[in-house]
Amino acid sequence: MLYVVLFFVVLSFFLYVLLGGADFGAGILELFSSADHKKSIKKTVYSVLGPVWEANHIWIIILIVILWIAFPIFYNVIIVYLHIPLTLVLLGITLRGVAFVFRHYDAVKDKTQFLYDRMFEFSCLVTPIFLGMTFGGLVSGNIILLEDNPNAGFADVYIHPWLQWFPILTGFFFSALCTFLSATFLIGEAKNYEKRMYMRKAGIATIVVVVLGMATLSAGYLANNKFTHDFLNNYYALGAVALSGILLYPLWRVIQIGRIIWCRFLAGMQVLLILFAAIGTHFPNLIITKNEQISLLDGRAPDNVISVLGISLIIGGALIIPGLLHLLKSFRMIKVLEERE
Amino acid sequence: MDNLDAARMQMAFTLIFHIVFACIGMVMPFFMVISHYKWLKTREHVYLTLTKSWQKGVAIFFVTGAVSGTALSFELGLLWPNFMKYAGPIIGMPFSLEGAAFFIEAVALGFYLYGWNKISERFHLFTGIIVGVSGILSGILVVSANSWMNAPSGFDYVDGKFINIDPVKAFLNDAWFSQALHMTLAAFAATSFAVAGIHAWQIYKNRNPQVHKKAFNIAILFGAVAAMLQPLSGDMSAKDIAARQPVKLAALEAHYETEKGAPLYIGGIVNNETHEVTHKIAIPKALSFLAHGDFNAEVKGLNDFPVEDRPNVAITHYAFQAMVSLGMLLVLASVIYFISLKKKHWQLHRRYWLYFAIMAPVGFLALEAGWIVTEVGRQPWIIHNVMRTKDAVTPMPGMIYSFYMYVFLYAILSVAVTWLMARQIKVLNNTQTL
Repeated sequence: MLYVVLFFVVLSFFLYVLLGGADFGAGILELFSSADHKKSIKKTVYSVLGPVWEANHIWIIILIVILWIAFPIFYNVIIVYLHIPLTLVLLGITLRGVAFVFRHYDAVKDKTQFLYDRMFEFSCLVTPIFLGMTFGGLVSGNIILLEDNPNAGFADVYIHPWLQWFPILTGFFFSALCTFLSATFLIGEAKNYEKRMYMRKAGIATIVVVVLGMATLSAGYLANNKFTHDFLNNYYALGAVALSGILLYPLWRVIQIGRIIWCRFLAGMQVLLILFAAIGTHFPNLIITKNEQISLLDGRAPDNVISVLGISLIIGGALIIPGLLHLLKSFRMIKVLEERE
Repeated sequence: MDNLDAARMQMAFTLIFHIVFACIGMVMPFFMVISHYKWLKTREHVYLTLTKSWQKGVAIFFVTGAVSGTALSFELGLLWPNFMKYAGPIIGMPFSLEGAAFFIEAVALGFYLYGWNKISERFHLFTGIIVGVSGILSGILVVSANSWMNAPSGFDYVDGKFINIDPVKAFLNDAWFSQALHMTLAAFAATSFAVAGIHAWQIYKNRNPQVHKKAFNIAILFGAVAAMLQPLSGDMSAKDIAARQPVKLAALEAHYETEKGAPLYIGGIVNNETHEVTHKIAIPKALSFLAHGDFNAEVKGLNDFPVEDRPNVAITHYAFQAMVSLGMLLVLASVIYFISLKKKHWQLHRRYWLYFAIMAPVGFLALEAGWIVTEVGRQPWIIHNVMRTKDAVTPMPGMIYSFYMYVFLYAILSVAVTWLMARQIKVLNNTQTL
């Protein structure tokens, strides 16, 4: 059953990054667009992501619920030492969610739309940054456990782990990755002239992803951090990143010939390969503190708890996934760019 | 304010906020579905207008409830990491099922909101029903996790360690049914009276009364039935608490001395220092009867418990008094509504509508008071008789700033949502429905 639970950890993590990430990316795209483009992106995003946009964000709840039930010791370290960036993530998730619903469900469409739009866009930008910083902080090797060092100062324990170049750049890198995903996903939904806009944005996002990826690794290398060192010496990780890079060519080709499904599949694969590289390098020792590594599996819940959780997840999955697929299928059949009421 | 108090304030504040949105998000889909059903059956446009207006309300409240719920699922760990470290595996089952129920609700809501003229009418209505049912299920599952804190079971606590964990037993703890029932009824009563009250105010103001009367009739029925059933469920909870958490019962009744044939205090000012309750009305032997079903049964007083194991008596007692009296006001309003079904001329009076408009916040005030009773009444324990709240709090100092941030954020959100609803109603009033 442990493997079932681990499967759901990985599944919900990947799906959150792919689906939730693409949602965040949509807001970032909107933020970095001219007024005319903003309008069209807003409309497209509403049509495409509308029916699933809330479902996309539930994956993170599933993820943390699994973590706290099955891997409480691991979860405890995250929640205590990365309290501040996680609180900022929550702030972002809250503002983004309410801004999305306010701007589409406000009965009167007036100047307040401007406020909702900016709130939506900025929270879409900062939330993945803080999420990335949280991950960067986890593997940065900067966490000081209070058990080992009860007299450590506030800043050393609660701020330094995530407020350094490596985690900050990880945050920006993740944001860029979301933007890339979103731009590529949206190409398939756009009309001719908009298609070019999304292609241009996907191109820019690709360059930003590459530059920030290199900057992140350099920062990690210069800070002499163990994660970066292991990453650079792990052939699977490097292979996955290289493959992700190589896939850019077929991606560009399928965009040219207008194969939407292939385009999304390839972009999703590229991001998954990068995630695989990042997680795979150190799995299951995903927390690296100053003195030690903490495994996801350390102090995990007793077997019967894992079994009950596994069964709950299988039942839940059996109920949810067909519904979700049906939802996606139903709305793909709709001509999504038609005018709505 | 020390760190523990700040963390408690933050938790209380976010829960007070979340519970309102969660309840509306749970119950309003039922109104929406009834109106939708009536539209399909009668093809009266007024029902379509109403359904679409309510669905926007559902969307706004669902999302606000969902994001504040997401925040809460993190806050459990962020504020109480030691609690989650040990309790997480034990009470994880209802949480994981709740996650699934919530997910189903989100998928169904996706279909419902975007399904107009796109999916078959029957399936569309069906997805609306699923939104409501899975919402109620989510609520019951979360309350079951809370009830475990009052009635911890499904583990052995030996030398500070939690062993022999049985998640199913923890899920089906002694308090889950009475708490879940009480809360579900409360959600229906509170939301129904709030929604009915808002529509009653519009009728009172003579704004598009045709739509609002239909809305009122759908909403109030749920509330009136729930409010009438609530005292029975409350009685069940009281007997349950008397058996399981006598110190909580003593606190909510402000009952210091152990005695047989204990009187029930109505009102009363509690002095936490001198342990006296003044200005009260005492009904002889009533507490013994309500708690144990026997006029001469012994009711344990607070003085039988060590001072460090007692909750804040004044807050618990006042909150309890508030809950019961507000609940009684709802019962009265329900009776008036049912009589008005026979005496239809009552509804011709504007005062009738004004009365229900005034009743709008009463259900939610009662509901919040009830949660204060159960949460403050459980203190100083986070897990009753097992773990103290002070031992569960995060080691990170400066929680007060986090508290301020949440107050600021949620205050703005509350204002924004209220304002949005007002705009929604204004638009509804200007809609031609014939």
